[in-house]
Amino acid sequence: MTTASPTTAIERPLVTELPLPRKRKVRFTVRSRLVQVLLWIPLIALVLWTIAPFFVTVVASLQTRGEVFANPGILPANPTFDSYVKVFEMPTFWSSLGNSLFVGVATTILTIAIAVPAAYAFARFNFRGRAFLLLFTLLPRLVPNLALMVPLYRLAVQTGALDKIFTLVIVYTGMLLPLAVFLLVGFYRKIPLELEEAASIDGASMWQRIRYVVLPLSIPALITIAVLAFREAWNEFTLVLVLMTSAENRTLPFELFSLEGTEGIPDYPTQAALALLTVIPFILVYMRIERYVVQGITAGSGK
Amino acid sequence: MSATSAVTKPLKTNGLGRTAKPRKPTPGVSDSSAIGRNKWLPYLFSAPSIIFVSVILAYPVVWGIVQSLFRREKLASPLEFVGFENYLVLFSKPTFWDSLSKTGIFVFGCLILGTALGLIFAFALNRTLGALRFLRAVTIAPYIVSSVAAAVMFRIFFNGDFGTLNRVIQFFGFDGLPWLSNTTLAMIVVIVAQVWTDLPLTILLVLAGLQAIDKSYLEAALVDGASSFQRARLITLPLLSPQIAMSIIWQSYSTLTGIGVVLALTGGGPLRATQILPIEMYNTAFVSLQQNEALAIGTIILILNSLLTLIYLRLSSGYGVED
Repeated sequence: MTTASPTTAIERPLVTELPLPRKRKVRFTVRSRLVQVLLWIPLIALVLWTIAPFFVTVVASLQTRGEVFANPGILPANPTFDSYVKVFEMPTFWSSLGNSLFVGVATTILTIAIAVPAAYAFARFNFRGRAFLLLFTLLPRLVPNLALMVPLYRLAVQTGALDKIFTLVIVYTGMLLPLAVFLLVGFYRKIPLELEEAASIDGASMWQRIRYVVLPLSIPALITIAVLAFREAWNEFTLVLVLMTSAENRTLPFELFSLEGTEGIPDYPTQAALALLTVIPFILVYMRIERYVVQGITAGSGK
Repeated sequence: MSATSAVTKPLKTNGLGRTAKPRKPTPGVSDSSAIGRNKWLPYLFSAPSIIFVSVILAYPVVWGIVQSLFRREKLASPLEFVGFENYLVLFSKPTFWDSLSKTGIFVFGCLILGTALGLIFAFALNRTLGALRFLRAVTIAPYIVSSVAAAVMFRIFFNGDFGTLNRVIQFFGFDGLPWLSNTTLAMIVVIVAQVWTDLPLTILLVLAGLQAIDKSYLEAALVDGASSFQRARLITLPLLSPQIAMSIIWQSYSTLTGIGVVLALTGGGPLRATQILPIEMYNTAFVSLQQNEALAIGTIILILNSLLTLIYLRLSSGYGVED
């Protein structure tokens, strides 16, 4: 049933435009036109499902504390930016924003700086123990953050690394390296060896080959890794929750979490405003990095 | 021509003659030329990454498992080796079993909802030819939201007093529901929020699988008069099974070890209704300060998780799916 020879396919009168050249698309019958219209229902559902939480948060952030409860409508009656002003006036907002930026950028740079030579070694050199060392680097990718929560906290206490912002950079870099090396090794193996051999014959040293041949070719992979690393460092919550103790060392997710915990009726507009502010850096570059995000998600399904 | 290529394709990947042939050289690795010839350089290059991975990932996990066999009586007293006593203490506590069952409900609920939505949305996306780029960009939007921010969003969405969902329900003349204060409803809320954050990966995995399906199979079935439902059930779904299996395993990994969404959304409440094992572990370690007991919970989560990982590895190697 699944296999029909192409000749019988053409003889069939039912489907008139069956493609002989394979590239052309199958034409749908009238009934499947209807199906196509019906297909918009799940697509609308998908957009609603994804957008609705953003939408209600934007609406909540544009209202005052009392109005959130009083306003029966879905849209804000008198939109105001008060809650954003309130966030900007929070003393710890700016420090946590600065921490998030620093940790994000430093983690990205450190991850790439360590992953590139390691991946180059694994992809280009034949050395004793290569397969084992590669496995040893890649396998810890399966370790969940949750399993590191208590051990890393205890180790940080013992080594005096607790509540130091650089600890986060080190920890996040370690968490990202397996994936970064994995992606880069795969990428380097696809770069033809001949390119490097040609450069070598022209007298290029290994450093020059890496600098002028390998790195420029691997820019797409590097961007994917940078997006993954920055996003992980920016959004990570499980470990920053236990590794940072003082208020000025929090990153944005932790700051948002501690805003929830304040006593009395929660200040929903301020929470909403801060939640949106944590997303904004990505929104700004979203369409540009979207392709790399897609690659990052599928490649990074481990985390 | 299309049909013949479809028939010959599976034969190629059958792995015939794998035993007889000599080992293939690793692609990209140099054997002959001057490139890639150095005794100590590759070790130097890979050393930093190996050190980082050992110190941040490998050592702490092993340390945690070993420490779960120790215990200190009081905060200041020295550590003593107690064997499996931490585990026995856990197993004697009703709260542990309660959390374990809550974890089961949570993971299972997330899997059902996540896989159902992932399949529906991926099928719909696969059929759109037009605005795919826009729709895909919308699809992956939750990926850039941290777990805490997602929790804040859903607390506003599901709020019993002013939440948008209740406003909509009231608009149709019904009473709003106490989403976050009712024990059953709270579990539904955390499942929805967790699925929301995990769904981009599920959709992308299934979508990639759908786009990789050889169109000639579907064309052949169309020619043979198979209805669209039959095509989906008899051809597309079986061909998709590796991707579906993989997405199921990754979803259970993510829900079993994820703590952020639930911690920030309900904190395990109301009345332990959403007290899943990760939150139980966090509370044991940082509220009751029984860190070695918490490590025992962590080890149990790791064991459950590695069982799932083993299934994942088996499935992916069985189907010949690249990691």
